[in-house]
Amino acid sequence: MVGALAVCSGLIDLIEHGADSSTLLITGSGMGLLGALLFGRVAGPDKARPVDIIAATTLAMTLGILLVAGLYVMTGAAQRPDDALFEATTGITTTAMSVIDPTGLGYGLRFLRSGSQWLGGFAALLVGIVILPFFGFGREFADRSSSGGFRPLAPDEMSATRNILRLYIPGTGLIWGGYMLAGMSAFDGLLLAMSTVSTGGFTNGANEFADPSVQWVAIVGMLLAGSSMVTLWHLVVGRGGLHRQTGLAMYLGLHVTGVLLLVLLSTGIDLAAARRLLFVVAASVSTTGFPMGVPVGWPAGAPVLLLLLVSIGAMSGSAGGGLQIRQHRALMKLALREMARQLHPRAVLKVRLAGRVAGEDTLRQIVVLQFLFVAVIFSTAFLVAVFGLDLASAISAAVHATATAGPVRGLDGVMVDPTEWSRSVRLALLPAMVFGRLSIYPAVVAVAALLNLLRDKARVRRRYRAHRHGGSL
Amino acid sequence: MLGSAVIESIGGDQGLAMTLAALVTLVPGAALWLSTRPGQIDRAAVFSAVAGTWLIVSVFGALPYLFAGTFNRSGIGFPVVLADALFESVSGFSCTGSTVFGSHNLIADQGPGILMYRQFTQWIGGMGIVVLVVTVLPALRASGLGLIGAEAPGEGGDRLAPRMAQTARRFWYLYAGLTGLIAVALIAVGMSLFDAVAHAFTTASTGGFSTRDASIGYWDSVAVEMVIMIGLILGAANFTLHSRSLVARRPVHHHDPEFRGYIWLLTGATLVVTILLVDDGMGFTRSLRSAAFNVVTLGTSGGFGNATGPGSDGDFVRWAAGPQLILLILLMTGGCTGSTSGGVKVMRLIIGISHARRTLRGIRHPRAVLPVRHGTGVMAEPMVERIAGFMVVYGMLVVSGTLVVAALGTDLVTAMGGVVGSLGNMGPALNRAGPTASFVDGFSTPARMVLAFLMLVGRLELFPMLLMLVAPYRTLHDRVRSR
Repeated sequence: MVGALAVCSGLIDLIEHGADSSTLLITGSGMGLLGALLFGRVAGPDKARPVDIIAATTLAMTLGILLVAGLYVMTGAAQRPDDALFEATTGITTTAMSVIDPTGLGYGLRFLRSGSQWLGGFAALLVGIVILPFFGFGREFADRSSSGGFRPLAPDEMSATRNILRLYIPGTGLIWGGYMLAGMSAFDGLLLAMSTVSTGGFTNGANEFADPSVQWVAIVGMLLAGSSMVTLWHLVVGRGGLHRQTGLAMYLGLHVTGVLLLVLLSTGIDLAAARRLLFVVAASVSTTGFPMGVPVGWPAGAPVLLLLLVSIGAMSGSAGGGLQIRQHRALMKLALREMARQLHPRAVLKVRLAGRVAGEDTLRQIVVLQFLFVAVIFSTAFLVAVFGLDLASAISAAVHATATAGPVRGLDGVMVDPTEWSRSVRLALLPAMVFGRLSIYPAVVAVAALLNLLRDKARVRRRYRAHRHGGSL
Repeated sequence: MLGSAVIESIGGDQGLAMTLAALVTLVPGAALWLSTRPGQIDRAAVFSAVAGTWLIVSVFGALPYLFAGTFNRSGIGFPVVLADALFESVSGFSCTGSTVFGSHNLIADQGPGILMYRQFTQWIGGMGIVVLVVTVLPALRASGLGLIGAEAPGEGGDRLAPRMAQTARRFWYLYAGLTGLIAVALIAVGMSLFDAVAHAFTTASTGGFSTRDASIGYWDSVAVEMVIMIGLILGAANFTLHSRSLVARRPVHHHDPEFRGYIWLLTGATLVVTILLVDDGMGFTRSLRSAAFNVVTLGTSGGFGNATGPGSDGDFVRWAAGPQLILLILLMTGGCTGSTSGGVKVMRLIIGISHARRTLRGIRHPRAVLPVRHGTGVMAEPMVERIAGFMVVYGMLVVSGTLVVAALGTDLVTAMGGVVGSLGNMGPALNRAGPTASFVDGFSTPARMVLAFLMLVGRLELFPMLLMLVAPYRTLHDRVRSR
């Protein structure tokens, strides 16, 4: 897929007479051929275990990052390999803490940059709707029922993938059209649409959102991108019942509450400022992270509120990051159940989510997911703090990286430029971005599998040596 | 209060005010004592009673400060004075150790009675929670506190004696003995009798109040710091272990997986903080001393400071961000179950990690039956669920508390440090409310009230305070329905 993206980028660069077309076309074709060769030659196992599929997902994302980083190095878009790696990771993981100035790039590289986010968003949807429910946990929440004669989103793995593409590609087109109607050029609109639908957040200029109509399109785009694919699918197939979806209500409620709180906390708010606040809230909740200036009267509580919104994140089954709304609902219900249990210790209390009873295993995994989410945030914050960030910036950067929520906003409301951070700080943020984009579990499972593999190999080698040693004696 | 009033009458000038506060407290107390009879109450009422008792005690505990005018200062009205008195009282009884004394209102200007009363509130609060945690809550199976029984299955559960009252009495003896030992040790290393007794009260209770503005930094003595550290570690260890050690006439602490984990945690954190401080340019000896003291005092929820002044070695808010983050994590962790310390507690953390490992292994082996182990034992599933539930509620309180405190005009780090510190009953927070600063400098008056509420929530292991309104609501609801 990265090869195809590189070829597309090369073709665009060729049409626009860019300097990177040959590099992109040759490398992209090479990647594509190699991928096809590997796909054809390597026979898959008869029956893959769920853990293998989950680990392979992490491997695929890591490989994608390395390939995109290689393209940045070969085209000279990034001067150093670590900058290329950071840019590629922040692209594929849809985090958008960019260290490359896009205004100095050709058409092909700009397309590659936004395209990497589009691919990353698609990968996130696959993880959230196909990989985790079918091979991990939360199977009861996969949209598999065809009750009422309506087509479900995810009756099986392949159909789910197809249906995601049926929504993802037209969604991109819809937002692209919106941006063009708002006055953007076709190319800039396409790039921004790819970054919007994937909740990526890359921009290609400093004043891309200066126009209010572009802001409105971005707000609607971010709202859609942060919505669950299941919800959007129900809307498309005319299944209805959206008003009964508590997750959607909570998602929209987060936006309304966020804006109201910011308006209440801020001073000197007019309609334009309120629109900007809605933009900021939508960028935080959907974890898109598009940059936007904030009103002058920026209150002390605002960064904390935005950080909270970022860590809550978008709806489950969307391209958005964060811990996600379903997980938060489950945690809240668990908290309430725990309180009820204090009063009625012998009562059998079930947790219902999205109209279904959540299995105890699923609930257990959600609790552990929260535990791991916090652990990733704290360990990342510790690392970047050791490498020189102050405490507030360290916590903020760690939350943004883990939630894949784009550039960090300082306590004064101004966006922080990642190039101001040291290289070690930037490198320390990379694992958190990958962990966050893969909803933590697949990455943890892959790391555990890798460690087990290394341990087994070491054990085999040790036994072999011991055997040889014994034999010679 | 009466005892402190006597001390104040001898060495200070607010003896009459304190006596008056004691009398005002005595009258409603006696009236309640005489007008009520023991009887059967349901679980909701127990939670209400426990939480209500702590609230009432905190409110009446603020009277000496109010009557003595401890927090009167120019430019502030009575509501702020009342809030400050309440904050100090809650911080005392909950063994938190956060204070509203500061450069605007020095501890040095207070009389000995007020100071001793302040220390004594922590001593009372410290044992109050041990008795509550070890005797009352396990009987209710509340909030995973059957942990104490679970960790010692061979010893017949969570009590040291057949009757709850006997268990409580035994803990009081232990607590008083530990306090006495600490006082003697502090006198031996050069403290005056008054300071030694006062600090013994707040060390055994892992409270953290001091009779000096610079806290333990006033003495600038390694020996004093060592005694305080050992006292805090003993105070934050499970009192059941102390009792068993006394019965066995040899220490049995090292057999306990929670205690071992706790010591490893403190040692590891001390080493990492020392390395980071040395890397930051502080000499090795100074780094080790500052790291060890602050790790122990925050890891045990003590909250003493060894900073001799703003910007000195022990002033951890001036350290680099890395060591501060470790302290923030320690603020959450707390000591052992069945101790005077606050926080999540080491055992919950160990079981939480074990639970996470089990769940992750479950993905690799979906059909395997994987128990959660603690030491050599297997934890019962309901217990694991309760612990997971507790941690979820704890996390939610930290997040929502930080948001509320930040919305009341506090920056992110100060708000988070304050909330985590208050919920864990730790004492000093980070940034603007560090060991050499006052909470008046870091938080607005409404934010301090939120923190005071969180102190009580944390002290009572979350649920009694959160559920305290259930019983009154039910009663009200039933009355409305019957009409």
